Amino acid sequence: MKKMVAVVALSLLGLAACGGTGSTGGSAVPPGDAQPAASDLLAKAPVADPAAIPPGSTMDKIRKRGELIVGGSLDAPLLSQQNPATGQVEGFDADLGKALAKYIIGEPKVKIVNSASETREALLANGTVDVVFQTYTITPERAEQVSFAGPYYVSGLSIAVKKGTTGIARPQDLNGKKVIAGANTPAIPAIKKVAPQAEIITFGSDPECVQALKQDRGVAYVQDETLLVANAKKDPAIQVVGNPFTQDPYGIGLKHGDEQFKAFVNDWLKKIQAAGVWQQAWKNSLGTVVQGEAPAPPQIGSVPGS
Amino acid sequence: MSALLDHLPELWQGLLVTLQLTVASFAGAAVAGTVITALRVSPVAVLRLLGTAYVETFQNLPLLVLLVLAFFGLPEIGIKAEPLTTAIVVIALYEAAYVAEALRSGVNAVARGQGEAARALGLTFGQSLRHVILPQALRTVVQPLGNIFIATTMNTALAGAVSVVELTTAANRVNLVEAQPIPIFVGAGLAYALIAACAGFVTGRLERRLVMVR
Repeated sequence: MKKMVAVVALSLLGLAACGGTGSTGGSAVPPGDAQPAASDLLAKAPVADPAAIPPGSTMDKIRKRGELIVGGSLDAPLLSQQNPATGQVEGFDADLGKALAKYIIGEPKVKIVNSASETREALLANGTVDVVFQTYTITPERAEQVSFAGPYYVSGLSIAVKKGTTGIARPQDLNGKKVIAGANTPAIPAIKKVAPQAEIITFGSDPECVQALKQDRGVAYVQDETLLVANAKKDPAIQVVGNPFTQDPYGIGLKHGDEQFKAFVNDWLKKIQAAGVWQQAWKNSLGTVVQGEAPAPPQIGSVPGS
Repeated sequence: MSALLDHLPELWQGLLVTLQLTVASFAGAAVAGTVITALRVSPVAVLRLLGTAYVETFQNLPLLVLLVLAFFGLPEIGIKAEPLTTAIVVIALYEAAYVAEALRSGVNAVARGQGEAARALGLTFGQSLRHVILPQALRTVVQPLGNIFIATTMNTALAGAVSVVELTTAANRVNLVEAQPIPIFVGAGLAYALIAACAGFVTGRLERRLVMVR
């Protein structure tokens, strides 16, 4: 026991020493352009006209508090992921959250409450969070519990396999096979729909799913296309097959029935799309792995439930 | 409410897996725990050390770490089992440390004279353990073992991390479609509570049955 404590203490000291030498060499922030790009984006982001925020409204409460409380993830690559070096949360959802905070408060002050798909409806209903930015697919079932602004992005699920796998070209080919999916992702119901005989095995995070695919726990991995493209780029052992087979419109989750706030957020979405902030946020995050220009943003209120 | 009732088949399937995990891993833990207790009270110093090392290792590592490590790590060295099997073995080995500690406290509760008398009568160490010490030790630790059984039940929820679809994971999947966390998780919670209550009832009965009048 004592020995173990000694080993742990020693390794901690070692880590501290590494940190020390790093910071004496110059800036502690690793090189990279994520930070300046994000601040550039926020400089362009609009601020609401004070007349648009009537006293007593949800927006007014947020502004008085001086902070927007966002329900989101800290582990979703390209969308909302905490950078371990800076502590900043980066990605498409995270940047939009900051832009919304700037629109209401005048400064991009955001507090992210790590929410999960089993808690976000409750967090909105009891007022713990103001908005949810978390790849929140708009569905009629969910729209009975929460209000959705948007959709602000349309994504689709794709299939990834180990390089060299044959016999999987279409979603229907997954029938009767073991398919890996992220726990609590829309992939689970989507697979059940297109391939009812597939056996779905789930893991908590994207790296675990990739590892499971490489260890042959399943023959295919169904996930958001952007994530899969990013994975395939990092890891030559896996490849993406075919095109996305679903259309998932992501919405901004709001407290159910708060029509005033919903109209306000939809208004903001139109403004940032017109100002090019939305497109810039896409380029900084998802655009780093997907080729080409930013896609056309989806029409607000264009899907059932929004 | 309909969110719960519409999905009873999936939740029922999850409950069955939870029961399977609980019963199989507790049985494994009981066997392994008894062996470790025997090691810890044995007269051979090396064996005692081995038993202590086992208990310290497994009590000081979180079960989730063990599960993920075994599931993703062992295939790297060529050992690959079904997710359910992996989960059962890991939970059994983990809970065995707790069973061993409960049993050891039971052994310590048996009067010293009992063991000495058994050895004086010519019983070997194994025989005295089997016929004299353990039967008395077990009686005193029925309640702690029941608690470990309940803890095992709750711990099986972690098997979801390695793709076993037990009750909690099944509830999560239902909630993903229905977005009604309160009825769904209250329902799942009641099922866990029911298992725990049954375990409590059985241990209570056993304890009264096995009470020793001295």
